[in-house]
Amino acid sequence: MVTHLTLKINQGEFVAIMGENGASKSTLCQMMNGIIPNSIGGRLSGQVLIHGLNTKETGISELATKVGIVLEDPETQLFTTSVKSEVAFGPENLSLPPDEIEERVRWALEAVRLSGYEERLPSSLSGGQKQRLAIAANIAMRPDILVLDEATSQLDPVGVEEVLSVVRELNQKYGMTILMATDASEMIARVMDRVVVLNQGQLEVDGTPRQIFANAGLFKKLMIRSPQVSQLATRLINEAHPLPEFPITVPEASRGLQTLLKGTAPNLVEQKKPAVECSQVVAIQVEHLDYIYQPLDVHAVKDISFKICQGEFVALIGQNGSGKTTVLKNLLGLLRPTRGRVVVAGQDTRTTAVSEMARHVGFVLQNPDQQLFADTVEEEVAYGPRNLKLEKELIEQRISDALKLVGLEDKRQEFPPALSKGDRAKVVIASALALDPSIVILDEPTTGQDYRGCHQIMQIAQSLHEQGRTVVFVTHHMALVAEYAQRVIVLSGGKVLLDDVTEGVFAKPEVVRQACIIPPQITELGQVLPAGLGMPRNPLTVLTMSAAILNRFDLK
Amino acid sequence: MSPLIAYYPGKTFFHNLDPRAKIIFMVIVSTAIFMVQQIPVALVVLGVMFCLWFLARLPFRVLWSFIKALLPIIGFLFLVQAVFYPGTTPLIKPLIPIGKGYGQITLDGILFAVLLTLRLMAMIIMLPLVNFTTPVQIFALGMVKMGLPYKLAYTMTTALNLVPILQMETGVIVDAQRLRAMQSFEKGKLADKLKAYPALVTPLVIGSMRRAQLMAVAMDSRAFGASKSRTYLEDIRLLPRDWVFICLTVFFTVGIIVAPYLL
Repeated sequence: MVTHLTLKINQGEFVAIMGENGASKSTLCQMMNGIIPNSIGGRLSGQVLIHGLNTKETGISELATKVGIVLEDPETQLFTTSVKSEVAFGPENLSLPPDEIEERVRWALEAVRLSGYEERLPSSLSGGQKQRLAIAANIAMRPDILVLDEATSQLDPVGVEEVLSVVRELNQKYGMTILMATDASEMIARVMDRVVVLNQGQLEVDGTPRQIFANAGLFKKLMIRSPQVSQLATRLINEAHPLPEFPITVPEASRGLQTLLKGTAPNLVEQKKPAVECSQVVAIQVEHLDYIYQPLDVHAVKDISFKICQGEFVALIGQNGSGKTTVLKNLLGLLRPTRGRVVVAGQDTRTTAVSEMARHVGFVLQNPDQQLFADTVEEEVAYGPRNLKLEKELIEQRISDALKLVGLEDKRQEFPPALSKGDRAKVVIASALALDPSIVILDEPTTGQDYRGCHQIMQIAQSLHEQGRTVVFVTHHMALVAEYAQRVIVLSGGKVLLDDVTEGVFAKPEVVRQACIIPPQITELGQVLPAGLGMPRNPLTVLTMSAAILNRFDLK
Repeated sequence: MSPLIAYYPGKTFFHNLDPRAKIIFMVIVSTAIFMVQQIPVALVVLGVMFCLWFLARLPFRVLWSFIKALLPIIGFLFLVQAVFYPGTTPLIKPLIPIGKGYGQITLDGILFAVLLTLRLMAMIIMLPLVNFTTPVQIFALGMVKMGLPYKLAYTMTTALNLVPILQMETGVIVDAQRLRAMQSFEKGKLADKLKAYPALVTPLVIGSMRRAQLMAVAMDSRAFGASKSRTYLEDIRLLPRDWVFICLTVFFTVGIIVAPYLL
């Protein structure tokens, strides 16, 4: 629901729409091309004017030539079986002459850098390429305005960069107005002119990225994800050691820090690389795992070996298609190795039924909506223990323990699909915990979650780790990896590219880049600062960095 | 199992046929398959389908995965026909006589089951043969040229497009259930499996509705249905080879139907 919203966007602006989940960012996006209220319905009072055209009175197809919209999930917006026909689909609907369509297809594919891909199957493209194709399909309608509704949130870091550079060029070269609902603040800071922050359907603030990210009160109130360098600057302001200018990008922060630290002596000894502690119990053992998908002979995983000890907190990262999901499915017994061996909690997956594995391994799906089915939260959580035919009291105990851990005790009787996105994810985690597994595996648990949701979910994972459980999670969100994981396994092309403590992995940005991974911004800052400054080389969190800086002043 | 609906790109004669020729092929050959009553004829039909599969260079492993998925149904067919087919040449005397002619395994019953299996296999090759070699938008175009309104043709092909997505989604949901210690999908009795279904259907339906709504947003934003006289960039034309193929299809079908009377 959007209420009393007044907003004017000028031709050629590059605007970010930020806000928590439930702030109505999507509603605003879909109002831009009249889908709301014309197609989806609802009550609209007031008006949306696009170039003076009232969306309520203008046909959706006419608006389609003014406003393009790119959605989050590539699968829902690509319909045909070749890149070319996908882009031609819109102009064909407009009954344009064939020559004109050919010309538009050529132009649109060139603009998104997909020339030469005309005959490819859209489903064979990478995530970043699919989203660029969706952009091409929209700009072939020659709109003046392009709306991107969380269009980068499912992509790996390099995919995000690809899409962003294309969108930026559309803005600069063709003067297209861009509206992007996103919380990727580091990229907002680098390229956008203006940020509109929504709060429960109302306009909270509207300003330049610098004004928004420097607004510490806003962060506290709405948990707007600001760039890590801005978070650092805010901390330094609170400790009365402000940077000369409020930074929102790495070069600005680097310059600022050099000025701030001038005259303080480098006294920090480089921190020792913490070794991974390993208990005697092996939780997960993967030996020479090969996996080939039939019937098309896709060799997804090639000779992978690793060992995870009980109690470790491990992140599994890599580009879309690097084999992460295949490895996860092998750990869970959903897939059985083509060659090699996988032993999880002492069970060989080749000989153990998945429902039996479930006693030892809890699994949290990426999309909670694929498993919620019960009428109440309580019933949902009880499902697993009931399948195990546990005693009634024990089931009750498991339910309350699990709900307590995720903080949903007061929502026992609620209807799961009606909960917020963050709470739905927590129900799914509680359902897995109710089986009391010694190992918990989370597959992109934070996708589609806002800053608050991400951290709440990772805090839960952290407390599972503290209970002595083994936690393995997959994510594209490098700041979370840096903050929470002890160890990182990087997959690329079905092989292990790196397997090291978290700091060790991010210390090699050129290597991880091969896996389409970009270290968190704060780590990047540590790496670009001059070595003589004596700052941590590969800081993993904003906290580490600010502590190191403040340490200088304490010693004086 | 491999996706039921998919497109395998290729440049074979079968890929290049006009979609209308393939639609005609699909409609009349499937009718004919239902009319086949003799095992030798059914074998010929199946053989021809195999040859076409080979000529279209489609992967045999995919075919094998379909047949594997059909095995339980084939087994069930054999069982039912063996027991209930009112045959006259008993092979094994009934253990428990149910009634006249029933309950005994007869040669006729087995042969009938073989015939049904052959027909089923011919169908399961023929349908993917068409949809694997024809891009959806070309298939829709074929239907439009045959007189269907564009919106209807496109809605039908979009529905077909959803089949593999639903197939995949179902797999994910079942896996999620198994990982919550649900055993029924692995080794349960039929009754247990039925009890497990609500847990499957709810997320599937909610997910499909959400997806359908988003697809509508994406299609609206590309002016779907804006104009009745839509342009088609890829034009299709019935070439001599398509007519030859249609004639062959007709001869083949007529042959199948009249063969038993001539032999």
